[in-house]
Amino acid sequence: MSDTPRSVLLDLGANRPTIEVLEGGEGPPLLFLHGAGGIAAWEGALPLLSRDYHVYAPLLPGFGQSTGLEYIEDQLDLFLHGFDVMEALNIDRPYVVGESLGGWMAAEMAALRPEHIGRLALAAPVGLWRDEAPVADLFGNMLHELARYLFHDLNCAAAQRMLSMTQLFSNKDDRTQEQIETIIGMSRGFRTVAKFLFPIPENGLERRLWRIKAPTLVVWGEQDRFISPVYAEIFREKIERAQVVTIPNSGHLIGLESPEPYAAALLSWGREEPS
Amino acid sequence: MKFNWFHLMPYRWLPEDFRERYHGVWVDLPNSLYDPGRGHTLYNEYLDMLEYADQLGFDAIGVNEHHQNGYGLMPSPNLMAAALARRTSKAMILVLGNSIALYNPPTRVAEEFAMLDVLSGGRLIAGFPVGTPMDVNFCYGQNPVTLRDKYREAHDLILKAWQEREPFAWNGKYTKLRYVNLWPQPIQKPRPPIWIPGTGSIETWDFCAERGYNYSYLSFSGYKRARKVLAGYWERMAALGKEANPYSCTFFQQVCISDTDEACEREWWPHVDYFFNKCLHLYPGMMGPPGYMTEASIRAGVVAQAGNTSLNMGMNKSWKELTEGGYIIAGSPATVRQQIEELARSLRCGHLGVALHIGSAPMELTNRSTYLFATEVLPHVRSIWNEWEDHWWPKALPADKREQPGSHNAAVQARAERPKEVSA
Repeated sequence: MSDTPRSVLLDLGANRPTIEVLEGGEGPPLLFLHGAGGIAAWEGALPLLSRDYHVYAPLLPGFGQSTGLEYIEDQLDLFLHGFDVMEALNIDRPYVVGESLGGWMAAEMAALRPEHIGRLALAAPVGLWRDEAPVADLFGNMLHELARYLFHDLNCAAAQRMLSMTQLFSNKDDRTQEQIETIIGMSRGFRTVAKFLFPIPENGLERRLWRIKAPTLVVWGEQDRFISPVYAEIFREKIERAQVVTIPNSGHLIGLESPEPYAAALLSWGREEPS
Repeated sequence: MKFNWFHLMPYRWLPEDFRERYHGVWVDLPNSLYDPGRGHTLYNEYLDMLEYADQLGFDAIGVNEHHQNGYGLMPSPNLMAAALARRTSKAMILVLGNSIALYNPPTRVAEEFAMLDVLSGGRLIAGFPVGTPMDVNFCYGQNPVTLRDKYREAHDLILKAWQEREPFAWNGKYTKLRYVNLWPQPIQKPRPPIWIPGTGSIETWDFCAERGYNYSYLSFSGYKRARKVLAGYWERMAALGKEANPYSCTFFQQVCISDTDEACEREWWPHVDYFFNKCLHLYPGMMGPPGYMTEASIRAGVVAQAGNTSLNMGMNKSWKELTEGGYIIAGSPATVRQQIEELARSLRCGHLGVALHIGSAPMELTNRSTYLFATEVLPHVRSIWNEWEDHWWPKALPADKREQPGSHNAAVQARAERPKEVSA
């Protein structure tokens, strides 16, 4: 197992994005689609998955060194962009693991071109909506408030790291250049997320879910306050033969809060014979 | 120099413990706090205040657009402008403005502004704000990332709709219309003057300079804190080779006047306190959704995304701090006159929006302030910038050519109400 991923820049061609892909491990291909926070470090499930898989984790434009958000105008462009990246990486029918925003993207891609996705794991994906269980507002809360939605245990290291970021938004002009760059970097990634998910992260995925053919695992943190676990049941009902695994003592960011049981569930799903 | 009497139309009865109990004054403030019966009186009082300003000779009367907001009760400023168009005939009507990216299709704004211009005899000043994040993103659901692109397209469509004399097709990214053919057309040719409100971004300055629009700097922090921003504006104009015509720039200032400085503090403090400490109770988490500000503006440090708290708009300040800091210009007519002159010279603005109603101020206090401003301040400050020509002012019909509401009924009344003719 390697804790340092390789970073590769994919030039997708003129008038298309340039994408940074983090890669680690050897084995069959696993495409990891990140959530709204991007990939701050090779952590969570990533090092654990790279024991069994060649993990490819492309970053959306605005995250890391990826650029070219202006070439992705709408959601269809975004899903097709996902396939462009797969093609450029020369991976076929991979195991796709998507978290939150990435889970939505993975589900949409699997519904759009079912034959191109080998296996699917959706970790607390956005994309559905029920009035009685509204998804929390990712864009209308301050960071320290958002943390309460995203983590079960605010004392865990990842939650503390996020809470410490709020210091960047002090009311004094005493930020270092490095801190300013951090803010700019965060706002750039968040801008990408807002382009596709503002103001409500739902755009008809539910009526397309039946198209998904890949064996699908839905993973949810039992104490997810960002998207209620009631949505897991809807995914299970609408995707043929989908299974649900609930991770106890975990909030929305399962990978950061409970990496071991979460990665174990993903690895175990990868070993399942296609039914 | 020209003065517009500008109204925000705040709700006057937010509870004492408002800041402790509620998230903010905007977006998600429960409307159970709003009493429509009181609202009926309030709208009529507020329109009366604006009509009084017209009678006292203010150059313009102004309204603006906010949504789901406890200090701005005008989701549709055009309705207020329409009411004012019929009840006033001298002052220009400043609608600052319509957040044009909100309207689908944006030709709705072209139509309504044309209606207002025709109805008022060419007295309209058309404001095209991008709109605050609270209004456009959180209340009206516009995507902050594509908002400015959509705004530009709406702007181009409205301008073309005002100027074309034949139907045309508009195949935009956000609006697709097979037939654009505006009825009615504005009276003012080639178009009503356009004012763009902003909060200090270079992109907005350039947008105004390129197209010959007035830049209206909106701030609740007063003229002393505006110097730095407007110095930047004038530097930018110089860099772009534009003449430093003060009339290209508008500033907004809250003003209260009483007979003496002491009386002013006594009479106005409760209402000023209400404004700064209740109406400006804004929730920082909704002030900067991702993508609303360009990266250049964030980098310039105008405001940080996702939770800036350094707004410094005058909360938790005493009367002394607010007056000395220029957040408000307040005092006797002599004090106000002196500070208005200082404001004009230091900011180089040819247009000033004066908010003579503040917070919870009642009718009589407001009209007294308006009266003192009109009679004891205006005559002394109007001549400032006389050497410059104002290219940003309506080309209204001459006063004697403007229709007087009711005059047509009066002209035909005798004939219309004549006794029935009895047939032989």
